[in-house]
Amino acid sequence: MWVQRLLGRSLGELRLGRQISARIVNESNIEVQPASGDKPLTFPGVWLRDNCQCDDCFHGSSKSRKLDWDRFDTRIRPVDLQADELAQEVVVRWSDAHESRFPLKWLRDRSFEERRQAEYLRDFYRPPTRHWSGAEFQEIARHFSYDEVMAKDSVLMHWLQALAVHGVALLRGAPLDEGVVRRLAERVGFIRRTTYGEEFVVQAKPGAQNFAYLSLPLPLHTDLPYYEYKPSVNILHCVVQTESPGGSNMLVDGFHIADILRRDHPEDFDRLCRVLVDWNDIGSEDGREFHNIWRAPVICLDSAGRYTRVNHSVPQRDSHFNVPLEEVLPWYESYARFVRLAIADSHAFKTQPGDVLTFNNIRLLHGRAGYDDSEESPRYIVGAYLDWDIIYSRLRVLKKKLHSDSDADADSELGSQ
Amino acid sequence: MFQADRRDLACHLIRLDSPKELDHPRVVQVPDPDRQDMQFPDIWLRDNCRCKECYLPQTLSRLPQLWNNLDTSVRVLRQSVDVEQQVLYIEWSDGHASQYPYNWLRERDFSAANRQRYLSEFYRPEQKLWSGQNFEEVRRVFYFQELITSDSALLQWLQHLAVYGVALVKEAPLEMDVLRRLSNRVGFMRRTTYGEEFSVRAQPGASNYAYLAAPLPLHTDMPYFEYLPGVTLLHTLEQSASPGGVNLLADAFYVAEMMRERHPNQFRALCQTPVDWADIGSDGDLQFHNIWQAPVINLDAEGRCVRINHSIPQRDSHFSVPMEQVRPWYEAMATFVGLAQEHSCRFKTTPGDVLTFDNLRLVHGRTGYDDTDRNVRHILGAFVDWDIVYSRLRVLRNATAPGAP
Repeated sequence: MWVQRLLGRSLGELRLGRQISARIVNESNIEVQPASGDKPLTFPGVWLRDNCQCDDCFHGSSKSRKLDWDRFDTRIRPVDLQADELAQEVVVRWSDAHESRFPLKWLRDRSFEERRQAEYLRDFYRPPTRHWSGAEFQEIARHFSYDEVMAKDSVLMHWLQALAVHGVALLRGAPLDEGVVRRLAERVGFIRRTTYGEEFVVQAKPGAQNFAYLSLPLPLHTDLPYYEYKPSVNILHCVVQTESPGGSNMLVDGFHIADILRRDHPEDFDRLCRVLVDWNDIGSEDGREFHNIWRAPVICLDSAGRYTRVNHSVPQRDSHFNVPLEEVLPWYESYARFVRLAIADSHAFKTQPGDVLTFNNIRLLHGRAGYDDSEESPRYIVGAYLDWDIIYSRLRVLKKKLHSDSDADADSELGSQ
Repeated sequence: MFQADRRDLACHLIRLDSPKELDHPRVVQVPDPDRQDMQFPDIWLRDNCRCKECYLPQTLSRLPQLWNNLDTSVRVLRQSVDVEQQVLYIEWSDGHASQYPYNWLRERDFSAANRQRYLSEFYRPEQKLWSGQNFEEVRRVFYFQELITSDSALLQWLQHLAVYGVALVKEAPLEMDVLRRLSNRVGFMRRTTYGEEFSVRAQPGASNYAYLAAPLPLHTDMPYFEYLPGVTLLHTLEQSASPGGVNLLADAFYVAEMMRERHPNQFRALCQTPVDWADIGSDGDLQFHNIWQAPVINLDAEGRCVRINHSIPQRDSHFSVPMEQVRPWYEAMATFVGLAQEHSCRFKTTPGDVLTFDNLRLVHGRTGYDDTDRNVRHILGAFVDWDIVYSRLRVLRNATAPGAP
């Protein structure tokens, strides 16, 4: 695991003071061989100079580069190399007369080898997602105890990791007070505020301005597709569940539906990736009017063709549709196929009081069956959002902390021997 | 086609031909007496039926039943218009009947001109790019009290910010809640790992580079977030009496366009090379390790600039690209940084100023200053997101231009 390498003490290596060799290649790059027999690592000279770790070039307490880029010369060349075996460092003298020292471990962690970079991105940056069909829901949906998530960092980490990989996780045994979603969000970082405030209550409100606040069936959708910065993760705390047969939750992995389209209906897939749809929400909350619009395709891809987001909401799709006339009908046909596939694949279950359902709103579609709302059969859900920026940050901090804790345990075991 | 002539208007209701099947299959053509005929795809009209079964006025949104199994082959059986009442009537092959008011249709006409009008006037105003050498033409001053009390002043400010990416607010009180009041006028603040409001003054040993008195080269704030804060608000409480502490600003979209034209290969390198942006530290009890991997110049599917990432201190030493992309990226970046310097403008805010700018588009910085007990500089900062700014702009526009959607 990359993190273990990042934090591993490599005590054996240091004590042995293994032989390092380093040489300049192609006049500008540096090749380092950590020990004889190891595969050499090559680093671009210009990148090394940019990342000099000395006090003039790097600000330690903010962990930030402070090199003067107004004077940075990309033609910089290494002119001399030394290996400090005692300190396990490579010492570089540059054509601008500057000298830099790079610890071997620091260099290894930043290797330009493709495999190492892929590991870093996968283990530390953002874990890759695993897509699932509705039939696989029981296998992939992990359960955690709310109390353990609140008390143990390792359980917190596993919850967030499951959420990142599968896009859904269920917490159980939460108290039935309205502060649960806030406490949980603050365990991770902080609540993402939207036009609807920080926490929101989903219960039947006749005359509500938002469709979700009615007791009607709520078909599959993503929340707030009309935001450029769509809230990332939904936290839905079930406080009271209706006694009526309705009110079930439905979930679908939108990335899985996109996979099916990509494989079986490539033209529909392309259209849903390309045609910009106007998503909107017009209304007011606490006396503040809003008119949100964001134009984006149903399936959003990054430049490498990876999914970055799914948008879907029947009520929040604007009647304004700013595309050329001839694109409209084909788009409807493709979108209708997407919706049919999603409905066919959706998994239904009913949360119980004390359950906290958490899922990735960038990726999953969710909905609920209609229910009879009466005084004898109310339903009361408290919700809030978290953003992925904040979740991934927390996950990285936990990974570093838990791995260094386990290293510290390992060190103390060594010491007692 | 519009068959009836003006003499038939007495009966109000005009039968129209069945939808055209020629160049554009299944298009409903609607005559508009004063202008060009409007055109609408039939499936779109069916999807946007305004009746009580299909549309819920209290939420201003479509009811979803139709979509449980949408029939995209639905056809128009009969259509007619009431020219006097300005309504289009349609009877559908699924037995449903719809009516659409003309003013609603006009807003949504599929002509290229109408779509363009809607996008640039209502969705998001078109940006105008500038060089720092012409900053005087772009510079516009607004007054804090007017922004708080007048909706039209508020609209002008947000519009200017959207179009030029920068606006200066003057005569704000020297109080701690100025940014909160201003943000609440727009919507609400965007919270980050540094909290809602932040205070920029020299703090020896600070964990963020901006909190030092050293020169702060041009940068965007928080490039290490996927959700980059949209608009930066900086309220000057105290300004350094030393010659330093001067603000630098450059329109990085202008610089990017310049590179697209003059250095196309370097432009491509900056658009295609993913860079690791990072911030590791803590604020209060919250430890963070933020990383976002993205190019310096980010384009949308149509090739327009949508976001710039640039920060020398917040660029990670991890650089997850193949070796051979490294040097070309550095060379392109050096060009970008040089051009941004060359096209930046300089000015020094004074106490009571609130500098507001688009953090997705502009790069900002400050020169170094001498920080001593008698020579302090104290700036308060906060962010508001563009989602919230544009929403407010649309609401204000509707209030001042009745009849909009």
